[in-house]
Amino acid sequence: MKNQKTNRTAVNLRQNIPRALILFFLIIASVFTLFPIYISLLNSFKSKGDLLNNMLSFPSRIEFANYINAFKKTGYLNCLYNNFTVVAVGLTGIVLFSSMAGYKICRTKTKWSSFIFGLFVSSMLIPFYSIMISLYKIVMKLGLDDSLPGLGTIYIGLGVSMAIFLYHGFVKSISQELEESARIDGCGEFRTFFRIVFPLLSPITFTIIILNALWMWNDFLLPLLVLSDFEKYTILISITILFGEYGNNEWTEILATLIMAMLPAIIFYFLLQKYIVKGIAEGAIKG
Amino acid sequence: MNAVKTWKQVVIFAAFVSPALLFYTLFMLIPAGGAAWYSMTNWNGLNPTYSFVGLSNYIEALTDDPAFINSFLNTLKYVVFMVLFRNLLGIMLAVFIESQKRARSLFRTILFMPNMLSMIVGCFVWMFIFTRLLPYIAEHTIFKFLDRSWIGDPAYSFVAILIVSLWGGVGYLMVIYIAALQSIPGQLTESAKMDGANEVQVFWHITLPMILPAVTIGVFLTLNNSFQVFDVVYALTGGGPGRQTEVIALNIYEEAFKKSYRLGYGSAKAMILFIIIALITFIQLWVMKRREVEA
Repeated sequence: MKNQKTNRTAVNLRQNIPRALILFFLIIASVFTLFPIYISLLNSFKSKGDLLNNMLSFPSRIEFANYINAFKKTGYLNCLYNNFTVVAVGLTGIVLFSSMAGYKICRTKTKWSSFIFGLFVSSMLIPFYSIMISLYKIVMKLGLDDSLPGLGTIYIGLGVSMAIFLYHGFVKSISQELEESARIDGCGEFRTFFRIVFPLLSPITFTIIILNALWMWNDFLLPLLVLSDFEKYTILISITILFGEYGNNEWTEILATLIMAMLPAIIFYFLLQKYIVKGIAEGAIKG
Repeated sequence: MNAVKTWKQVVIFAAFVSPALLFYTLFMLIPAGGAAWYSMTNWNGLNPTYSFVGLSNYIEALTDDPAFINSFLNTLKYVVFMVLFRNLLGIMLAVFIESQKRARSLFRTILFMPNMLSMIVGCFVWMFIFTRLLPYIAEHTIFKFLDRSWIGDPAYSFVAILIVSLWGGVGYLMVIYIAALQSIPGQLTESAKMDGANEVQVFWHITLPMILPAVTIGVFLTLNNSFQVFDVVYALTGGGPGRQTEVIALNIYEEAFKKSYRLGYGSAKAMILFIIIALITFIQLWVMKRREVEA
């Protein structure tokens, strides 16, 4: 009887120790992941002296001045507005033009159509860093530098190939019956597309919106090359310039700035978490 | 009648495709062609005229430019570490998370979070940790080894770059591997367990072979991504100290926009980066096709 019991505890132990180790590892990984955000949040509410005194403790007095200063110096609201402008222009163009092109290319079975599809897809392996020099020259020639809609427009050109690829794959999987019956009813090409087809594409449209919004929001080098007027800065450029000016001293304010820069993405993440994770996985596997 | 119909169809096709094609041509195809052309010229930003110089830029980059060679070697080192650690950790985290019951989505949410943030912001936060917090901790606790010049000493700044890259990039791979794990039919692992296989055996003989296609994707994604590393090095070390942690993309940027304005020469380096990425992609397609034939 007793023997059986110890036996069972041994089995339990054998199962529980790896379980506990796995849980322990996951907790360590989570702490490591959150720690930088936690530590910046903590120290962003401190006065300078308080920060030097103790970097790990809670602030002895909550200091909002860091945030007020950061808000002013980055031109936070203006930056947010600039970011939104760029992303809005880019997304509208990418979704509209790619869905149209992806749909029509998929439904047209000619040599030309597959050639154009190949043309779009072939560039998916070209690194941005390989084209940036001559892209910069064209941007200057067209006078798109220092223009937010201009920046959004460039993103359209860079983003359509991946989006067309995803739309093309999705259109293949939906049946043509609805389109054909609409056509028989005398519905024109564009009306058929926007009334019937486009709504059917919404799952992949959602994925494309998430992938591209994240990319444009967090992209750094293109805005750095294209924007030079403070009024036009996106949030990342504003922070980078400010960081250079601060030097290594005003950490309380810098951390407040960084927290404010993270905020929109984190809010977006918590609102749409499920879709974002799904979209990322899908985009990666299909792309 | 028929000719009119085809003609109409061509017009409709053009109406649907040309907006995308226009922007694509302007900002992708022309710059790509431009890069190939400029790479064979001596164009620089200061001089309005330039001439054709053949392959001499390529030869100079590959034989007579220690900074570029060094950036190439740094990139290679970075790529090796990233491909290994991002995928191993990604698989490990995915398997561990999938073994959890209640806390599963909590862990996934937390571990994926850094992927939402820009690497630039992440780097500045880590800069605080490396230059301020770790020396502080070293001074006040027993962890004296933390007091190093994490950003200033090339040996450690490379480690710093790796740490931040892993922090920001593992979640992406983890999500891919979680998706792969979830597509394994449950009966398969259950029946193996019924036959007396333990967790480790199940992992080696069922889980791993089943997620192998995802591993191929993960490896090539990291290969592709890390050859193009820029943001993290730019923001964390700026390629320094000196040019000791410089990577290819940063070297191109510096060449064209910061140091010498030799845009033609920079384009040649850009083309070399493109050729590397293209080679990787072709190897990937070849590997995947071969696996499909085998399966």
